[in-house]
Amino acid sequence: MNTQPHDHLVKSYDEEMARLTGEIAAMGELAAKQLESAMDALDKRDSRAAQRVADNDDAIDDQERRISNDVLRLLALRQPMARDLREVLAALRIASDIERIGDYATNIARRSMTLNLSAPVPLVGSLDPMTRMACRLVREAMQAYGVRDAALAYAVWERDADLDALYTTLFRELLTYMMEDRRSITACTHLLFIAKDIERIGDHATNIAENIWFVVRGETLNEPRVRRDQPSES
Amino acid sequence: MTENTALPNMTSMFAATSSLVSMQPKLEVRNLNFRYGDFQALKSIGMDIPEKKVTAIIGPSGCGKSTLLRVFNRIYAVYPGQRADGEVLLDGEDILDVGYPLHGLRSKVGMVFQKPVPFPMTIFENIAWGIRHHERLSKADMAARVEQALRRAALWDEVKDKLKRNALGLSGGQQQRLCIARSIALKPEVLLLDEPTSALDPIATGRIEQLIEELKRDYTLVIVTHNMQQAARVSDRTAFMYLGELVEFDDTERIFTKPAKQQTEDYISGRFG
Repeated sequence: MNTQPHDHLVKSYDEEMARLTGEIAAMGELAAKQLESAMDALDKRDSRAAQRVADNDDAIDDQERRISNDVLRLLALRQPMARDLREVLAALRIASDIERIGDYATNIARRSMTLNLSAPVPLVGSLDPMTRMACRLVREAMQAYGVRDAALAYAVWERDADLDALYTTLFRELLTYMMEDRRSITACTHLLFIAKDIERIGDHATNIAENIWFVVRGETLNEPRVRRDQPSES
Repeated sequence: MTENTALPNMTSMFAATSSLVSMQPKLEVRNLNFRYGDFQALKSIGMDIPEKKVTAIIGPSGCGKSTLLRVFNRIYAVYPGQRADGEVLLDGEDILDVGYPLHGLRSKVGMVFQKPVPFPMTIFENIAWGIRHHERLSKADMAARVEQALRRAALWDEVKDKLKRNALGLSGGQQQRLCIARSIALKPEVLLLDEPTSALDPIATGRIEQLIEELKRDYTLVIVTHNMQQAARVSDRTAFMYLGELVEFDDTERIFTKPAKQQTEDYISGRFG
């Protein structure tokens, strides 16, 4: 049953479901933009832009609350069954993942403002590959959600391992810098936290992918996932 | 982007295909066909009704769900032009066999209908009347039997002081529990319920549903219902029927979360066009 289901007999039910998924899509778009703006602000050492990102987080939180209300109402008034039930359950979980992604974007923005208080660190550039990949995972997860594409969701789920691997590499790189030059420790520590935030964003994109799989296939994606972030072993 | 030609084999969130409901079949339906004259109302139905569980039969009007229920105690035999072929085994014996004693069948398989139909007599007599048809009991034994049936049907406390009053004075919900008590009094093994709450308010419905839960300790229950939420609430196994065919029959949990057939999915999620 991979096909999109046809309409309900009661049209307003369809409208409510469409509204719910529309809200998720809008929330995902907002979180992706927040993440991109946060990374841009970090890159350009633009504290005002970073502050705007921090300020915008409330909008994402509001959206999550709206979605929770809609889910509650749908469960109480429509008593969804089968795929509808999975859709509603997934919407609630995905909204929570997007909200966390928004939080991490805000964390990154705040940390970039702290970094801007001291001299520029050339190492910021080494975050680029991770950032680009995390943004792409979030966007693709949302794209997969938009068309309920289980295959695309699975691709996102699988590629999170690459993001983990990049994180491990970056961790080692920053460790080396810190050992070479003690003056870089403060900046490198901030960068490490940012890298960890980006890595966590990948995990949330993975959760979103798992929920899309659940909606479409009615099963949980529970095969062992390859993990390549083993910084503690380096 | 990664190519995804090979998607992995995922384990289902439910046990692959086996039922989670323990299955000791009480009724085994084999290749059952039913005709009202020229109209075929049931088409090669095959299903096992588990013992001491609640089996719900759902489906749109005219799908054959009530007909199927009516075969289980051969009540259709009262009407000319109605015939069933195939097998319906009750504890291994074919109840469709002409040699199967109808009298014994009706006491083993009780039935409760959509509209409660109390006899126009006292509450006590409503229960005792059926028992007398099957057994001869002393006055004391009869009183005990009536009390037991009313208790089992969760009606005793409400009627114990007015057993001599006319049953027609009871509320709809009480009347329906009286009818259930009347069936239980004959010590059936199977209880068939045909839309037992469709004429009742939510409180009375809740009482009946609670009763169904209690009754399954001792009886095998089969309930036909239009109310899918009710099927989801009370049953262990759910059968979805459409146009005289059994489309899907599975654990209730699976039917309402991840049915295997698109038709079932469409029906239970309100998409049936």
